[in-house]
Amino acid sequence: MQNFEINSDQIDKIKKITAEEKSFRIKNLELFKATGFPNKRLEDWKFSDFENIVSRNFEELNIKKASSEINKIDLLKDFDHNHILLVNGNFHSSNFEHEEKSKIKISSCDKSIDYKISKNPLICLNHALAENGYSLEIDKNYKLNKVLVVYNIFTKDMKNKILNNKNKIKVNENAELHVIEYTVNESKSKFINNVYENISLEKNSKLKNISVQCNESDGFFHKFLKNKLSLNSDYSNLIFSSGLKFNKLDIECDLLEESCKCNILSALFLKKNEHQEIKTLINHLAPNCISNQKIKNVLSSESKGVYQGKIYVKDVAQKTNAYQLSKALLIDDNAEFNAKPELEIYADDVKCSHGSSSGNIDEESLHYLMTRGLNRNDSIKLLIKGFLNDVIEFIKNPKIKKFIESKLEKQINGR
Amino acid sequence: MLEIKNLQASINNKSILKGLNLVIKPGELHAIMGPNGSGKSTLANVLSGKNGYEISGELNFKGEDLKKISIEERAQKGIFLAFQYPLEIPGVNTNIFLKTSLNSIRKSKGEKELDTLAFLKLIKEKSSELGIDEKILSRQLNVGFSGGEKKKNEILQMKILDPSFSILDETDSGLDIDALKIIANGVNSSRNNKKSFLVITHYQRLLEYIKPDFVHVLSDGKIVKTGCGELAEELEKTGYKQLN
Amino acid sequence: MKQQELEKTKEYKYGFTTDIESIKAPRGLNEGVIKFISEIKKEPKWMLDWRLKAYRRLKNVKEPNWQKPKYPKIDYQNLYYYSAPKSSKNKPKSLDEVDPKLLETYAKLGIPLKEQEKLSGVAVDAVFDSVSVATTFKEKLTEKGIIFCPISEAIQNHPDLVKKYLGSVIPITDHYFATLNSAVFTDGSFVYIPEGVKCPMELSTYFRINASETGQFERTLIIADKGSYVSYLEGCTAPMRDENQLHAANVELIALDDAEIKYSTVQNWYPGDKDGKGGIYNFVTKRGACRGKNSKISWTQVETGSAITWKYPSCILQGDNSVGEFYSIAITNNHQKADTGTKMIHLGKNTKSKIISKGISAGKADNTYRGLVNINKKASNSRNYTQCDSLLMGNKCGAHTVPYIKNKNSSSIVEHEATTSKINEEQLYYCNQRGLNQEEAVGLIINGFCKEVLQQLPMEFAVEAQKLVGISLEGSVG
Repeated sequence: MQNFEINSDQIDKIKKITAEEKSFRIKNLELFKATGFPNKRLEDWKFSDFENIVSRNFEELNIKKASSEINKIDLLKDFDHNHILLVNGNFHSSNFEHEEKSKIKISSCDKSIDYKISKNPLICLNHALAENGYSLEIDKNYKLNKVLVVYNIFTKDMKNKILNNKNKIKVNENAELHVIEYTVNESKSKFINNVYENISLEKNSKLKNISVQCNESDGFFHKFLKNKLSLNSDYSNLIFSSGLKFNKLDIECDLLEESCKCNILSALFLKKNEHQEIKTLINHLAPNCISNQKIKNVLSSESKGVYQGKIYVKDVAQKTNAYQLSKALLIDDNAEFNAKPELEIYADDVKCSHGSSSGNIDEESLHYLMTRGLNRNDSIKLLIKGFLNDVIEFIKNPKIKKFIESKLEKQINGR
Repeated sequence: MLEIKNLQASINNKSILKGLNLVIKPGELHAIMGPNGSGKSTLANVLSGKNGYEISGELNFKGEDLKKISIEERAQKGIFLAFQYPLEIPGVNTNIFLKTSLNSIRKSKGEKELDTLAFLKLIKEKSSELGIDEKILSRQLNVGFSGGEKKKNEILQMKILDPSFSILDETDSGLDIDALKIIANGVNSSRNNKKSFLVITHYQRLLEYIKPDFVHVLSDGKIVKTGCGELAEELEKTGYKQLN
Repeated sequence: MKQQELEKTKEYKYGFTTDIESIKAPRGLNEGVIKFISEIKKEPKWMLDWRLKAYRRLKNVKEPNWQKPKYPKIDYQNLYYYSAPKSSKNKPKSLDEVDPKLLETYAKLGIPLKEQEKLSGVAVDAVFDSVSVATTFKEKLTEKGIIFCPISEAIQNHPDLVKKYLGSVIPITDHYFATLNSAVFTDGSFVYIPEGVKCPMELSTYFRINASETGQFERTLIIADKGSYVSYLEGCTAPMRDENQLHAANVELIALDDAEIKYSTVQNWYPGDKDGKGGIYNFVTKRGACRGKNSKISWTQVETGSAITWKYPSCILQGDNSVGEFYSIAITNNHQKADTGTKMIHLGKNTKSKIISKGISAGKADNTYRGLVNINKKASNSRNYTQCDSLLMGNKCGAHTVPYIKNKNSSSIVEHEATTSKINEEQLYYCNQRGLNQEEAVGLIINGFCKEVLQQLPMEFAVEAQKLVGISLEGSVG
């Protein structure tokens, strides 16, 4: 990338920072500059050469601050909810009308700097530059009455910008939170959004997360999620992020104490030249934990789906139950699916397995449906829905389920 | 043959056998009946030496303290357990398994190991005696066997390994009448004045074909009643509830 | 023998050395040594040039470091690159002329050549250190037009075939160890099966590393011409030594239209002692090209030895309808490390591949399956099925599965399954109840676990492999 230079004086522009924070940022900036955007020579980027993607799509990039102003936002009417508004990654406002306000702490951007040095250049870039985002904490024993929708709005003037945000969610002991991350795109031009999100679940707490797009976008998204799970906590993440030009979701979960549950599921329908990668690393560090990853991709036209998943089981993590499944349906000739399902296991009394398959739509099933009077196209759609359906079945709230179903249907029918 | 005195057994701190007494002499066939959860299978497991139980009391087999003997040594000394749920062991050929098993038992007795030919002859003889298709022996151990086939396989193994004391743990459950007859025939044809049997069953049905010398009723970890063959018929009519 | 040594020999049955005088090249690696090797083998100039080209290339490439098992740096200048039993300087014309001590060694290895010639009908090309000692059964094979000889002989007698195919599957530029082998390979087997010929017997090579501080770099080239068939067996052993020894072989297979090659390996190189001292570094490149339509290459391996094993016997499925198979058992105990698997590169239409991998770790060992399935855009209607199962015995060892799956063709189907577990306690109990002791029971269950692979091996090998499976895990239970 020739037209992308960041000088360390960019960091000087950041207001109110300590000397310690400044040196942390400068160090990370240097790390990023040493490698540049990650390319396929890095094992973790083997299937998604970001350097190449950037140079094919951008002639220049800048890190100028994006506006955090917005005139009007149409809130979802499908179900009652609390909300947080993010405008171009900046924390705009929040509304917890359904909750006891004293139980919820919300502020803009997390300023902590106790992060480990990362091998991922995009994380280094984020550590160097991020100053926007939100920080949310739910008090002990508080279970939210309604779901929280995080509106992630990108406005029109985003051209060639690269945005770095940092978010933090902490769910305290016995508390419960259900989040829907809802991305709304108004930008017609290309931009990059690079997010680092820190999630901690304390004892017996629960966090459900769903991510979904309102509409298609020319955005290129990278998000790194670091989850820390304490005793008997329960984390689930459902991903329906179809419609982005590029998306890489890198999820790391540390199951730190006994009896944690961790579910990561995705149902994607990709089209055109969309390229999405989900990468998961589940670290089983304590006994008796359960983890489950189910990744389903339907790939049409020239789209590319990637799944890299690793299950790591430490020697002390006996009685681990870990399962990972990735399945892809390739429905057009130029679609591509790459997978690297990995196991690294050091404890013997465990149940760990993975399966991965890719192929086309089963002709016999198609035939069966057509003998029942459906045309070929409708039959294919039906089979695709069936293929993706078991991820949706995971949603228990009927209104939310219906909402997600309709979004997915739109994605499938829009092909 | 077998002498059990005040046997107590518990698993995961849950007490299951609570002072069981039983004496089985050579040549005798004892039946143990009892409601679900009374400890019947635990008794079978404890006798075979299954790990995980806390045991106290006396457990003597041919004058030796069984508690000190490992599972396979018990088998080598002549204890055979026909499992209630025979395990599937993928990839392991039944014939090869049986031959290895038979030879390790023979070796421990100081007998000569059988070569493949002699072994195949033995198998042929025993399976035709029982009316079992020997083809099941060339399949993987219990893999894809029907319930009946698994149970028949257990009895065939019993015939081939020729133990002096056999425990049948609900071998009759889930069987049709033909399979039941094969099982009964397997037991009856093995009976002699040196061999003893302990038949665990929930129903009286099997005992129509295998005539026990004694019938014991097990309830809540103890033998609460002992009688001869008629006791079983009585139980069939009145049920176990009458006993408590 | 001292008690300690006696104990050691019990651990590794093939841990004896043979006291035979050998001719060695001077220590170290330079153009002089390569010229020495080439000269002693009376090679034509094109061969020497080929070696030197590889050597010059070697100076510019680095050793790979992406594998899971790491090893201390090898001092390539301190190795002997050529070691031959002295008595073979004037090559024996028949078995009777072979040094009786050598024959005795092979007898200890379980391959008495004479016996084998008479009884089993297996043609054996035995490679002792780096030189083929004797090739049995030559006449019978010659009748059919089959060429089965040391590669050094083939270079002289069949230069056209060697020139055409050597390095055509594994180019000298491939990677560090392949390049190293190309520069210094000393001997190995050469097989050519003419059009339409089904080789009437299993061809077999026994490799054995004897001299200390010696690297073994054999090179095998097998060509199956149109419509032919061959089954090739390779067994490996090495004596116990405290230092690590390097084995970097190259094996190239070429199957033309409708031809089939079955290649089986039982690898039992010295794994090092209980504390991880000594043992072979087994860094081997094996690759087969299914060049013709309807051709088939099938790899079967039982890897129980070596301190470190890296090998990925692979298939390049170029011809339409060609088939690649990989069946593997890798057992690691004590401090052994294995990083093994395969690559299935689907290029032609309707190509099929199957991967069955069984990894067993005990002690403090590490066992990795690493594999690639790549369905190219033009490989329509292709299929792959992969199954990787790992078994852990104890919690000081590790099992890893690292598959790379690329599917660029929508009409192709790729399926991958993997599991990791320990030996089922209930199964052990069942076997114990039938009178088997713990080790017998484990051996039986492990053999069951490996069955799909074991049954791919030819009879004679299967028996040996089954025994090895048991021996390798001795002392790992209880």
